[in-house]
Amino acid sequence: MKGAPKNEELEQLLAAEFGVTEFPSDAPPLVDRARHLELAARLKALGYRLYVTVVATHYLPQAASKAGPEQPEHFEVATALRKPTQGGTLAAWRCKLAVGEGIPSLVGLFAGADWQEREQFDLVGVRFDDHPDLRRLMMPDDWEGHPLRKDYAIDTACTPWR
Amino acid sequence: MEDDRAFTHPLYDFMARMPGLDVATTSVDKLLTWGASNALWIFPMATSCCGIEFMAAAASRVDLDRMGTIVRGTPRQSDVMVVAGTITVKMAPRVKKLWDQMPEPKWCLAMGSCAISGDFYRDIYSVVPGIDTFLPVDVYVPGCPPNPEELMHGLLRLQEKIRAFRAGKPRGAAERPPTPEHMRRPSLPRLDDPTRPDELSLLQTQSAGSLGHGTEMNLIELRRSKAGEALAAKLAALRAPAAPAEPAEKKE
Repeated sequence: MKGAPKNEELEQLLAAEFGVTEFPSDAPPLVDRARHLELAARLKALGYRLYVTVVATHYLPQAASKAGPEQPEHFEVATALRKPTQGGTLAAWRCKLAVGEGIPSLVGLFAGADWQEREQFDLVGVRFDDHPDLRRLMMPDDWEGHPLRKDYAIDTACTPWR
Repeated sequence: MEDDRAFTHPLYDFMARMPGLDVATTSVDKLLTWGASNALWIFPMATSCCGIEFMAAAASRVDLDRMGTIVRGTPRQSDVMVVAGTITVKMAPRVKKLWDQMPEPKWCLAMGSCAISGDFYRDIYSVVPGIDTFLPVDVYVPGCPPNPEELMHGLLRLQEKIRAFRAGKPRGAAERPPTPEHMRRPSLPRLDDPTRPDELSLLQTQSAGSLGHGTEMNLIELRRSKAGEALAAKLAALRAPAAPAEPAEKKE
């Protein structure tokens, strides 16, 4: 399958300043999570001032196979910004998090990131550091667990209602 | 649930104090029955696509208005709650709270598969498997979603039910056809199920009541409290016997 059109500007920036060497065709490039905020600020200065989305994914530990090397349990957070001009391009990148690690929040740069990050925190359980109001968004406030994790039991009973 | 409902009216009290007016009671009763069954003001608890069909039913082609059914935006002025759509665990206390705000006499109509049983969202962690786990449903309108005509039919049946009840012939769960065995699922006992633990309704009321303080719900505390533990044990015991064995006895 053909991936999204390449963003030359982003790739040059990542290669020159962020030490990224791999640009897979089917996924956004991986960036060190310590430089996540710096990259977002850099892109905003370049005109990418529309916060599009943040998507967190949970990966279970995986044994080494043809598909790739052995992987411990981890999270991936993909962020996308857009340059709101005629034919404006999308700048997307991923950050890899080990279990228990957090990622810097982008609320300071993009106010619209607030609820999107809360949603990902609620459903996947990724911690966004320095988020001003990191509460659950979709599930009840006292819900236990994060439903979109791969090891979440789907038939979890909730006593008064089922 | 129906048997608990009080159909009082100030007129009745007035007549009880006036000797010789008993004769008028039947006529007045007819008048009140006519009024009660032909002015079903609806509170639409529309959460998903059934709500769109509900809107179609309220629009000009089917036109609920012609039977005195006016859609109200507040539970305090409504007689019927039409639950149209999937109710989630987060939404359920809110629905219950709105239901508690409706004045008696009141009725509940479950519109669509999701409100009736949860449909294919039934086994999902966040979905209530049927609103009759916490609301006394009078009429079930099946469909996914039901036609406006089917909703109209449901409301006509509700009118019949109101008339029958006011005439002293209540129709309850006993007259409802039993759920086919292959469709039975281990789940929470419904409101009119004799095996339903008494404290269950109390727990649900409490969790709805706790909404008063901000938005937090005390479901966790409820689950961890002694009452919650006892209830969980009871429910586990209820679910333990094999599902097919129980309905077979009931059928006989």
